[in-house]
This record gives sequence, C-alpha cells and structure tokens, in this order.
Amino acid sequence: MTTTLIESEDRREYKATRRRGLVVDLSMTLATILAALVIGFLVMLATGKDPIAAYEALLTGPLERSFRVGRWLEDATTLTLLGLSVAIPFRARQISLGAESQLYAGALAAATVAIFLPLPPVAAVIVPMAAAAAAGAGMGFVPGSMKARLGANEIVATLMLNAIVVRVYDYLVNGPLKEPGSSAVHSEPIQPDSALTPLTEWLGIPFGRANVGFLLMLLTAVALWLLITRTPLGYRIRMTGSNPHFAEYGGIRVPRAIEWSFVIGGAVAGLAGAHLVQGVYGRLEPGLAGSLAFEGIVVALLARNNPLVVVVAGLFYSYLRAGGDIMEQQTDVGTEIVVVIQAVIVLLVTAQALPDLLKRRLARRQAGTSHKRSGTSDKRTGASHGKADAR
Amino acid sequence: MNESWDPAGPAVATRAVTKTYANGVRAVRGVDLDVPAGEIRAVVGENGAGKSTLMKLCYGLEQPTSGELLIGGRPRVLRGPASAIALGVGMVHQNLMLVPSFTVAQNVVLGVEPGRRGRLDGRAAVEATARLAEEAGLAVDPLARVEEVSVGMRQRAEILKALHRRARVLILDEPTAVLTPQETEDLFAAVRRLRDGGMTVLFISHKLREVREISDKVSVMRAGALVGTVTTADTTERSLAAMMVGREMSLDVTRAPARRAGTTLRVRGLAYAAPTGQPLHGLDFDVAAGEIVGVAGIEGNGQTELAEILAGLRRPGAGTVRVGDTDTAGLDVAGHRRAGVGYVPEDRLHDGAALDESIADNLVVDRHDRPPLARRGILRPAAVRAHAERLIEDYAIRTPDPSVPVRALSGGNMQKVVVARELSAGPRLLIASQVTRGVDIGAMRFMYERLVAARDEGAAVLLISADLTELLALSDRLLVLKDGRLVGRFDDTTGLTEKGVGLYMLGVEHHERAHLTAGLDDTAGSDGTAGPDNTGPRDTGPRDAGSGDSGKATPE
Repeated sequence: MTTTLIESEDRREYKATRRRGLVVDLSMTLATILAALVIGFLVMLATGKDPIAAYEALLTGPLERSFRVGRWLEDATTLTLLGLSVAIPFRARQISLGAESQLYAGALAAATVAIFLPLPPVAAVIVPMAAAAAAGAGMGFVPGSMKARLGANEIVATLMLNAIVVRVYDYLVNGPLKEPGSSAVHSEPIQPDSALTPLTEWLGIPFGRANVGFLLMLLTAVALWLLITRTPLGYRIRMTGSNPHFAEYGGIRVPRAIEWSFVIGGAVAGLAGAHLVQGVYGRLEPGLAGSLAFEGIVVALLARNNPLVVVVAGLFYSYLRAGGDIMEQQTDVGTEIVVVIQAVIVLLVTAQALPDLLKRRLARRQAGTSHKRSGTSDKRTGASHGKADAR
Repeated sequence: MNESWDPAGPAVATRAVTKTYANGVRAVRGVDLDVPAGEIRAVVGENGAGKSTLMKLCYGLEQPTSGELLIGGRPRVLRGPASAIALGVGMVHQNLMLVPSFTVAQNVVLGVEPGRRGRLDGRAAVEATARLAEEAGLAVDPLARVEEVSVGMRQRAEILKALHRRARVLILDEPTAVLTPQETEDLFAAVRRLRDGGMTVLFISHKLREVREISDKVSVMRAGALVGTVTTADTTERSLAAMMVGREMSLDVTRAPARRAGTTLRVRGLAYAAPTGQPLHGLDFDVAAGEIVGVAGIEGNGQTELAEILAGLRRPGAGTVRVGDTDTAGLDVAGHRRAGVGYVPEDRLHDGAALDESIADNLVVDRHDRPPLARRGILRPAAVRAHAERLIEDYAIRTPDPSVPVRALSGGNMQKVVVARELSAGPRLLIASQVTRGVDIGAMRFMYERLVAARDEGAAVLLISADLTELLALSDRLLVLKDGRLVGRFDDTTGLTEKGVGLYMLGVEHHERAHLTAGLDDTAGSDGTAGPDNTGPRDTGPRDAGSGDSGKATPE
C-alpha cells in the first residue's frame, strides 16, 4: 500500500527530505569512486606494483601539461556526445546500442562533404557537421522505426546495424575513399576550411587536438536538456519512457515519440563522428571511434540520462582514460587497472541498492527520534532504533 | 507442521509492531493486535491506513521494523511467506495468484503435491481438492483449467490452496471486490463454516456492510495505528466509518433528477473481436448530456473493452460511435480527446498515471502542447506548475508540492490526480471506470460529488463499476453487460436493488431486444417508435421485496 507521510507533512519538510536525498546520492557517488580507487589500490599492491606512483600518474597526470589537458578535453568531447546520444533514447526507455553505426555514418558524411565539396569558410565547417547529424539521424531512424512500427527488438536492430555500417565504413576507407598513392590506410585529408578551430589557436596555449568541438558539445548538452525538460516533444519522450500505456492513454503518439528519440540520439552520435573527422583526425581512419561508442552507454548510465550530468560523467570518465594512458607510460602499471576501477564504479553505481540502504538507515533514525519525541508509549521502538544505529 | 502451536495463546497477535519503509514511510505504528483462534476478525481502514501492510507482516511478505509477531501463541520471525505457510498462515490476495494454464486441482496442490519421488499423482491431487472443497463448502471443478473458470471459482481455489497447506489462519484481502452479491453470500457461508471448524480468519475490507455481516470483531486502523477493536454486534456502518476517518462521514449522495439535454454519446451496432479478452456483440445505447448511465456487470464481461473503445485505445470491429457531432470510431486517442472524451481508466497504475513522474507532469498529458502550457513550441514550466497548483487546490489533492512523484501518493489521492485531469478538461463525455476502486471513504465521497457535479454541468457520464452500491447510488439509468452483450436496461433506477441487478449480471434474467433498444433512433431491428425515456421495466419487483436495505449509499 502506498501510504505516505508526504501527504501529512508540510512543504518545507518535503523539500528537506528531497535535499537530503540529493546529498545522499552525491556523497554515495563520491564514496563509490573512492571505493573503486581503494580496490584498484589493493589490486596493485597484490600484484606487487607501486600503487602510489601509479595513482599519482593517474590522478594528477592529465593536468600536468597543457597538451595533456587538451588530450583529455578532446576525448571527453567525443565521449560525452556519445553519452548524450544514448541518453535520449534511454529517456524513452529504448535500449539503443546504435551509437557506433550512427557515429561512423556521421563520420563518413562529414568527411565526404569536407573532402570533396568546396564551400565558403564558415559553411565549410557547418555543412559537413549538418550532413553528419543527418546521416546519424538516418541511422537512428532505421532501428527506431523498426521498433516503433514493426515491434522489432531495438537492441538486436541497433547491434545488427552496427555490424553492417562498420563493415561498409571499413570497405570505403580501404577502397573508394582511400588516399591514392598512400601506403597507410586512411582517406585524403579534409579541406583546411572544414577543420574545427583548435583551442590552441584561440587561447594561445598548446592544447593538442582539443578544438571548438568541446564548446559545441557543451551547447549540445544544454540544448538536449532544454529539449527534454522544456519542449512538448521532450515531455512526450519522458512520458513514453516512464509509462508508455499512460502516454498512449493521454493521446501521445508513442511510436512517433520513440522514433524521435532515436533520430535525435542518432544526430548527436553523428556529430561525434563529425568531431572526430573535422576536429581530431582531419580525415577518415580505420577504427576511428575505438571502444568509445560503448563507453558512451556507461557514461549515460552513470549520469542517469540527465544531459547535464552526462557532461560531468563524460569529463570524469575520460579523465580516467587519459590518466590511465599516462600511468601506463610512466609506471609499470597497465591501463587494465583503469578498466578495473571503471568497472567497479559502474557496478556500484548501477547497483541502486547502496544509496537505498543508506536512505533507509536515515529514515529509520528519523522514525526513531520522532517516536521518542511522540511520547513514552513508543520508548521501546525508539530504543531499538537507537541500538540499530549504534551497531 | 503446526505442532508448535500453543493452544492457549492467540492465533495471531502483534506486539507494538512498527513498519517503516525505506522511503521513510511509517505504514504501521505500534500496533497491538490480538486475534484468538476460531474468530473472524475484520480489519478495516481507509486506503493507506496500514491494514494491507499489517497483513503482509503477518504473512511474512514484509518484516517488522520493530515489535514482535506471534503466531500460534508464540513469538515468531517470519523470513518470508514460506515460513508463514509452514506455521499455518494462508493468504488470499486481492489479485489472485494462480497459474492460469493449470487445472484447479493442480493449482491447489502446487508446491505440496501428492506423489512420490518427484512424480505428481494427478488423481490424488483431484481427490484431495474435491475432498477439501466438500469439507469447506467451496464448490470448484478440480479438472477445469483456471483460465476458463470464473473469478469466484478462482478465489475458492485460492482458499482451497491455503487449506491444502493446512492453514489455521486465513487472511482474505478484499475478497469480495471481484464477486457478485450471490457469490459473496456463498463465500461468507464457507468462511463461517471454516470458522466453526476452528479456522481463524482475518478479513480485510472497506465495504462496511460486508464487514458487519461476516465478522465477529472489527479492528479499525487509521494512519498506521490501531484505533480500536470492537465487537461487530455493537457497531453500525456509520460508527465504523466514523472510527475509520476520525469523524462522521456518510456516502449518501444527494442528487437532483437528471436534466437531459440531447444525445451526447450514440453507440450503434458496436462489435469488437478481441484477440484476448472479451469480444463485444452489437451494442446499441445512448448517453444523453446531463445524465449518468451506469454499466453493471461481473468484471470481464466486456466493460474494459467497451471503455477502451470509447476512449480510443481500441478500434471497434464494427458499428458506429458518435460523440456529439464527431464520428469517433476511426480516430486515435488524441482525436477522441479533441472530440471531448474524458476517461478515468479502471487501472490507474497501468495507464492512468506515470508513477515516477511528478504530479504536475501527470496533470498535463492531454494538454502539454497547447497554450497556456506551451507557447511557440516551448513548454513553460511555470505554467505547468501553476496549472498543477490550481488543480491540487480545486481537487483537494493532498501533497506538499506539485513536484512530488505520483508514486508517493495514496490510492485515493492518486485517483484524484486522474480525475482532476479528466474533469478539468471539461469533457462532453466522461467514461469513469472503477472510479472508486481502492480509494478511501473520504475520496470516494469526493468522487461521487464530482461526478454528479460534472453531470449537472451537462457532461454525459458513463459510469462503469463493479460496485453495485455505487452504481445504484449514482446512476440515472443503468445498463447491464454480460458476455459482451447488453442484457439489461433500467431507465429508472429508483427501487432497483443489488440482488435484482445481480440476476441480470449472472444471466438468470435478461431484457428483450425491443426493450433494450427502445427509444434509440435507427438501430437494426428497432421499431423506432418506442416510448419516451422513462419507460423502464418495473419487472424486478417481487423478488426484491424486503431487500431494499441496500445500505450505505441508497439514493434519497
């Protein structure tokens, strides 16, 4: 039965409870990260490495030199865009694993336009990005519409589409789009006008390959947050994800909301592809995205699909990635330890039980004290709470 | 398995039991309950009073936060239903928990099957079931598959299942909610027989009339605490209701005669072939603006399908549906809502609300893309919040803030959110399905008043309910649905009794087609010249003589 104190308690108390919940969530997240680091520390000790030097490299390394910061921001840009791209379908409770195909489709579209289509300066940046977003959106629309209209399983549909698109991409990079006369496998470079301006040029500090794409990523995150919270379409996506039966009952066209969530997510993943082509590599390379597409899913999960939190999670996650690389270079500890730490964090965060446990403890303590306050008849319960807390 | 019972002690008792849920809700506070063996004890209370939680504690589904639980006179710690069952506690849930594709006998013996070395002795199962049924006076067909039998028989099978596991304490959670009056009587007879055989029965209900009829003593809960335990004979429905809500409260609804103003809903030859569920066959009826038309029937006879077709959630197979001037038969849900259809769904948890979303968001699902809530493609949170605060005020939704997720609300409060949304849209036609299911008396009364008020403002109301008391109290006219067909039509509900309508619900009686379609224009096979509205039959007379005490909500 859904009994509740919420009805009897006043607004201030409700808000206090909510604030407390937020604080618990936040401190739990921090505690989780700490716990993961401790576990990583123990693993290194057990394998006879020097954990302190390793952690120094991991945790402070990325900030030590400006080009390392650049490396971090550049990685975070792609990763966060990929996290955002799955967070939107996740909001409609669609398990889209299609970020990979959408990214490669976007990269192909951006590169094709940026290599072969001569454009005036500003358009030369924008048009390839728009093409990438459109291609990604198209790659999102296919599984989205298969799910919404035909009832196909979206997990299978997106994974299969990934397999196809990655093969097509490999074929094109190895064949028709391969730079003529080059022994290495990659495409021709994009026209200089199409490149995303490096931050180095703006700030005068060497930031490696980090570029204005980082700022565009921040804008995208804010735009998606506004879309989800401030537009009717976002409302429809949220309601569809929360309870599709309710959405349908309320007159929302659920299939269309699902399709839109895939299309928007696809467009954002396409932008991630454009960022890699126009900002990072300046051409198509095989295996452009590495494992980023799937790490994007982890980032979205960590952020509970809130676009603004995805940015924080993305920055944090790529910080660990960047730190891991430095740790491997400077010490004899491999990046595997970073994988361990990341895995532990994901496990602990996705295990919702922990914060719930803590909240229950808090609630009990509250109940205990208010019982005591309410008089002598409840002494027994109050006392037993006291004991529980003391333990 | 029950050897460790102390014959002198209470069958079930709680000592200062408190249950605090993880989210800080104290559902049960310091309850001292004492139920001696061989007693039928009713536990009543408003929704959210903690009676279900208390029962879950007794059945091991929840563990008390503090306090002590006694079963069979000794303190026990129940780690789960399995340990409760081992101690002789059986529970029949509101939502019956049987395997639909198994026979009644297979369900009854499930988990404690007769047979040797892992092989089920089918014949022994049937015999055991038949014997138990005979002893307890619970008529079942052991060989029938559960999905094919009536809800009443499923419930009897559940009770037999508990008996087969040698239950000495039987917890019945709102057992009559799904039964016809006749089935309820049979159930009560069986329960009394079990009691006389030494069974202890805990009977959860909010139907006070039934509580008065069946129980020996009544324990009343309010806000998680036990208000008191009284001997049933010393109570009246009114005194129990007052104990439950803490003040005098009645469900009598005063309503003026309906002022009908033209047909709002016009249904002709409506048919529906369902892949699952109940098909509908050739329904013809009208609902006028300014009247409440009740739809009675045992649940599962096509009410859900009818309501969902009229709301646009299902497409009819044949026939026409007009709401005002709009032919809605081919429209989607949004089209129905534009035509002025409001719908309070029978299961608010399933499709009436998005539980994890805020009250404010739940209140705007049908109007989120229109001014004043959205302008130029932008949803305005301030407007959504103001809209919510207005409805929270108007509909007395108890909550500290519009941002509270609907899941945190009690049943009655949640239903107020649904009703507030549907009524504030100003519907021409309101389909209200099981509008008071699982809500407390205060909220129930509130719903009744709002429905009558909507009627008086000119809405056509189609009231679908399993609660005959409610239908008779509110309906200006009454239709009866059986097996997807209309079998009864009463154009005047004064003098109708629950038993009288029950006979139509069971299919014992039915009206002729000419009577059912009297006064409707262009129906197939109608003579088209039947009299005015109030020519309803009075042919339910003799059988109902002396049963006019239909209780708490008789219209005046």
